Amino acid sequence: MLWSTAAFAAGALLNVDRIPFWATALLIACAAWQLSVAAHKLPALPRAVQLILTFLLVTCVFAVFHTLNGLAAGTVLLVVMGSIKLLETRSRRDRYIIIGAALFLLLAACLDRQSLARLPLYLGTAVLCCTALVVSAYGGGGLDVRAAAKLAARSLLLALPLALVLFLFFPRLPGGFWALPASDEAVTGLGDTMSPGSITQLIASYDPAFRARFAGAIPPAQERYWRGPVLHDFDGYTWRRGARQPIAPPSLRYLGAPFRYSITLVPDGNRWWLTLDTVVGSPDRRAFFSSDLDLVAREPVTQPVTYDAVSYTHTESSEPLSNFARRLETALPADRNPRTRELAARLRERAPTDSDYVRAAIDFIRTGGFQYSLTPPKLDFDSVDDFLFHTREGFCGHYASAFVALMRAGGVPARVVTGYQGGEWNPIGRYLIIRQSDAHAWAEVWIDGRGWRRVDPTAIVAPERLRRGILDMLPDAVSGSTRLLYATPLLAHLMQEWDALNTAWNERIVKFDVNAQLAMLARLGVHSADGGALVAALGTGLVAWLLWIAWHIGRSGGPPPADRLARAYVRLCRKLARAGLARDAHEGPLAYSARIARGRPDLAPRTQPLLVRYAQLRYGPVSGQAAATAIVAFERMVLRLQVVRRPRAAPAPQRKSA
Amino acid sequence: MQRFIRARIASWARRRQGADVLPVTMHYRRIYILPTRAGWGFAFLLFCMFFAALNYSNSTALFLTFWLTGFVLVGLHRCHRNLLGIALQGATAVPTFAGGMGQLELTLENPAPLVRLRIEADLPGVAPSVTDIAPRGAARLNLTVPTTVRGRLLIDGLRLTTALPLGLFRAWTWVYLPLELIVYPRARGLLPLPTVAGVTRGAKPHGGSGGDEWLGLRAFRDGDSPRQVAWKAYARGAPLLVKEYCAAAAPERFFDFERLPNLDTERRLQQLAAWIVDAENRGERYALKLPGGALALDRGAEHRHRCLRALALHGLAPVRHATSIAR
Repeated sequence: MLWSTAAFAAGALLNVDRIPFWATALLIACAAWQLSVAAHKLPALPRAVQLILTFLLVTCVFAVFHTLNGLAAGTVLLVVMGSIKLLETRSRRDRYIIIGAALFLLLAACLDRQSLARLPLYLGTAVLCCTALVVSAYGGGGLDVRAAAKLAARSLLLALPLALVLFLFFPRLPGGFWALPASDEAVTGLGDTMSPGSITQLIASYDPAFRARFAGAIPPAQERYWRGPVLHDFDGYTWRRGARQPIAPPSLRYLGAPFRYSITLVPDGNRWWLTLDTVVGSPDRRAFFSSDLDLVAREPVTQPVTYDAVSYTHTESSEPLSNFARRLETALPADRNPRTRELAARLRERAPTDSDYVRAAIDFIRTGGFQYSLTPPKLDFDSVDDFLFHTREGFCGHYASAFVALMRAGGVPARVVTGYQGGEWNPIGRYLIIRQSDAHAWAEVWIDGRGWRRVDPTAIVAPERLRRGILDMLPDAVSGSTRLLYATPLLAHLMQEWDALNTAWNERIVKFDVNAQLAMLARLGVHSADGGALVAALGTGLVAWLLWIAWHIGRSGGPPPADRLARAYVRLCRKLARAGLARDAHEGPLAYSARIARGRPDLAPRTQPLLVRYAQLRYGPVSGQAAATAIVAFERMVLRLQVVRRPRAAPAPQRKSA
Repeated sequence: MQRFIRARIASWARRRQGADVLPVTMHYRRIYILPTRAGWGFAFLLFCMFFAALNYSNSTALFLTFWLTGFVLVGLHRCHRNLLGIALQGATAVPTFAGGMGQLELTLENPAPLVRLRIEADLPGVAPSVTDIAPRGAARLNLTVPTTVRGRLLIDGLRLTTALPLGLFRAWTWVYLPLELIVYPRARGLLPLPTVAGVTRGAKPHGGSGGDEWLGLRAFRDGDSPRQVAWKAYARGAPLLVKEYCAAAAPERFFDFERLPNLDTERRLQQLAAWIVDAENRGERYALKLPGGALALDRGAEHRHRCLRALALHGLAPVRHATSIAR
């Protein structure tokens, strides 16, 4: 009972951070009750009380989650029902139910999170559940618990090859059977709106956003702009992605060498597939290539996803911008930010072309006494006016917002691009890791004849931002422990190794899907478009494992290996049998020897000492070291013995008479 | 329904296996294995886990499911192994009086160097008896068989089962031995022992070396001569016993079926059984005469059994199709 309770508690505690505290409290109370009942033979709770308790608690779960379906609510329901079940657990059947619930909770934990760090916890719970199963099956006393744990662990070990075969070769589905329940997890990462300060929140987080592995050259630090959602609509304070417009992306001319890479996203519940600016097209039908030249997934990213992409860091477009697009990208709320409009008009007078105007605006920002700060003063309702003429202190979001507004006020099509900038090289895993703290926003302006050009006003104010990480720029941005971590080279190195291990785990194991299976088969030399080869491999592996396990377990009870003396004796008998003198099953060595002496007197001088020696060693008073050396000598004697078949009943020698 | 199916399967297995001869070794061809109810439940659990994992395309959950599947399959083999190779060395049906509890004594031997957990023997309608068997050890199982009427009780459907180590599978084997339990008539009757027919030569049995008639064994008491101790039995592991002899001076009784005219057959048999038990307890010699045959004057457990057995089988067909407890 103790074991099944422990297994259930372990399963529930794996989910402890996802269930309400009262469910945890209930679990602890019920487990304690169960154990004290077992120890002191207390009466069980009346059935009616249990039923009422169950009803109340299910109502509670429903009140909290507004559903009983889905992973989160289901987990809590399972914890609650299992805890109640603990109160009435008496029979073996009850214990099996509790263990089943524990296994399901373990599964729920796996479904929720599959990070490498949690793996030992899952492993421990699995072993605990299996041990509880063995203990429950035996029931009653008399079973050595250590033997039960050993049995469970050994069985799990024997099962491991099968698990691997099934895992590698069981055909996966490209998608699920039915739609997954909508995730109620908080969405992190880039949103589809940007207001002053929104990016600052992201930057405070040091969590990884995605990892990029390059085949070939890696772009230099100042070119590492990772494109995310593009924002078009501005209401004077907040930038929005806006309604999707059916605009065809301008045809581009790609300059320079392409960069080929693959990206593994950390799931954040958003739909952006980040790419290096500018990506050539969608690599996958799970995401489409939008007119903003970014990739938008069809489903929110809730599992780690990996995709290959090709990008060029420089592009050109000689097409004219359509009137519709020009109207969209120069729209500004009419009654907001009046001083910005004045400034735009002033700059525009002296700048005949759009390029001149962009340059003038850049000059204005460079010389305007602007400062780079993560903790700028709060901005007014007319945020651009307030920023440009009053606070002059801000972060990438502020600069991008103000710069694009200034461009639009001057009639130059412009838009805000959000994404990430930079990335840290992990030399162990050989990939770039991009963190939430690398979140960035910049501007794009349309120059006729050249297309969309990237302008990063933040880089104008703080050029070192591009070369150095945010950590060097603004140490206060991140928590003290993270700073400490990166100030200590050894710890930083360990962190990188751990991250590389994690990445390998995510890419090899967590992301192992039907494509990875086919790729694996291709590496094994089997090229098969459908699952035929997979099924064949699966069947072969399954049969091989079953045979192996049957052999292994069957062997475990076989007779003990014969000792050396017996083996040598068997060899001796076999030699004599080949000479036509097989020993009868009932014959002792001395009787055997006597029979040989009668039948083959020619052999007797050689066989008799051996058989007598065997009888002495087997039954005589020889023991210890002397016996061991004597046995070795006996083995050698047996090896040296040469026995020939009886010569033919000597035919009368025919002498040729000459 | 379940019982019907079970009986059908058992009879199929019987046709397949044929009759057994002691010692019966549990060869793999005679071991059957099926999931228990808990096993089916666990299979359903694994099925649900599998679909959840596949639907979420979750590698860790899928691996967990596959691993547990492997664990259960290893359990299946271990369950089979738990029974495999056990040898039923002895099976003795200890007779009893009608209405009493007969005993079926089974001796199981484990030739392998691994412990056998929870080996269960059962008969239809009889409470199972459970034992563990140590590596290279032996164990004895006693099944208590209730009886109602005198005669032969055919022991049919003897089954050795085990559900260990996981309790998710049950492996079993049927043993078809020609085993029958002799059920003596109930020892019941109001008539006194018939008068002594033989010559009384002094009715006092006395322990000691003086007697020449073997009386039996009794427990050692302080003061007994070491020469009377049954050392051979002691060497075999029995407690300290003393051989008792007495002068052949006990009265001799003749029990005759025909001399009890006022009773019906069953009551006569019961009366005879009661007399035999009584006379044996007194240490007297007795002879039995039945319409079908007679047993000469004698004494001792063997003689008692032969007499009671003759009573039990009186009037029954000699062929072996007696009452089966598998009804």
